[in-house]
Amino acid sequence: MGLCGIILVYYYNSTEAMFDSIDPKSALPMYRQITDQIRWRVAAGVFAPGDKLPSVRELASQLLVNPNTIAKVYRDLERDGLLETRRGDGTYISSDAIALAASERTRIIEEQLRSTARDARAFGLSEQAAMELFRRVLSEMAQRKDRR
Amino acid sequence: MTDSSASPRSTDAAILTHDLTRRFGRLRALDEVSAHVPRGAIYGLMGPNGAGKTTFVRVLLNLINPTSGSVTVLGHDVVKEPVKVRRRVGHVAALQPLWEWMTVRDFAGFMRGCYPRWNPEAVSTVLERIGIDQAATLGVLSRGQRAIVAIAVAVGHEPDLLILDEALTGLDPIARREVLRNVIDAMQAEGRTVLITGQDIADMERICDHVGFLVKGRLVLEATLDDLKARVKRIRVEHPSAGSGQVPGEGEVQVPAGAFQIERRPRETVFTVENYTPEMLVSYDGAGRRAVATDLSLEDIFIDLAQAHMGKTA
Repeated sequence: MGLCGIILVYYYNSTEAMFDSIDPKSALPMYRQITDQIRWRVAAGVFAPGDKLPSVRELASQLLVNPNTIAKVYRDLERDGLLETRRGDGTYISSDAIALAASERTRIIEEQLRSTARDARAFGLSEQAAMELFRRVLSEMAQRKDRR
Repeated sequence: MTDSSASPRSTDAAILTHDLTRRFGRLRALDEVSAHVPRGAIYGLMGPNGAGKTTFVRVLLNLINPTSGSVTVLGHDVVKEPVKVRRRVGHVAALQPLWEWMTVRDFAGFMRGCYPRWNPEAVSTVLERIGIDQAATLGVLSRGQRAIVAIAVAVGHEPDLLILDEALTGLDPIARREVLRNVIDAMQAEGRTVLITGQDIADMERICDHVGFLVKGRLVLEATLDDLKARVKRIRVEHPSAGSGQVPGEGEVQVPAGAFQIERRPRETVFTVENYTPEMLVSYDGAGRRAVATDLSLEDIFIDLAQAHMGKTA
């Protein structure tokens, strides 16, 4: 039990952030796949301020992608305030990430809705019909949750 | 579609060729190839079988002479200064012949004698990670293990340029991942350049930032991967109302000049463009039409371009 605890603590400290594997054949560029993973985890609260991310080299080696791709992801997310680099130490989830998480959540949903809205318009769905559909989906989900 | 056309100087290029041609009898294995591999790049050289990829590598290493044109590697003319070039280049070839009776340790020791620099830790790190016993003779190793030994020895002398010629071809997934991992690790040294040739396009898409396409000895395209993916797109124009099929040619969708892989169906038209701009889509909007652009994977781009160019030169 004690040993398990030590191993667990070590595991959490050493592996730092976990990432899903990247699909180079996806229509979504690898840069976007990695960026989205970090943004999503910040939005969902999985990554909290002060969490350390792997170094560019470590993550490139783990995901088997060009180190320049990871460097660009880190650079852009740092510019957006989600990450901060401590000189000579590494890359961390920034202290602003909690405040940013709320706007990240809005941004992610907005992006998904925009794509849905584009399709709705192309199919000639009226604004009213589209809104009704969205409300119905939301209420169906709420009901399913209540039943459980 | 060269993004490096602005007079590339030899100082910022790891590999620079100008009108490089190599003939074998009447066959032009390389036909006026002007390639520019910037320092620090991971450059993927792709092409169908027999396109000239291995000939290109053999010229770089001065294993064969060019028929005409110039070749500069790391600032040295390969024909005039082949030894200077070879000392700074690590090379891994598919099915590299190794002395079967030699142990891994002896082989590494032998190769060590060929180069001015040697980093024994770099070699043992690579071998230990995949559990290759240095006392084993090369003859008993699997194909994947041999590839790892070859790459371990190739990075041992800390080359400024690492060339992997079809080195991923035919490897099992574990060995392939390990080779890729070693390429990424090898890039840790500043300004180190990797040239990788092969057919495993998804793997190359993972790690390459520059690509070149050879078709029938000609370099038909050279670009950064980002640029290539931004420029080459598949466009689908939906026109459900236009041309009910009653009148042939009625409401036929105009495709931009240079479009290829054009498929016309009754209510949609699909084609690939090499110079995509968002304005292309806008021009189709309205009158019951809608256009969408889809990103292509490197494999799709490769197949489309290869077919387009094979057709042209056939």
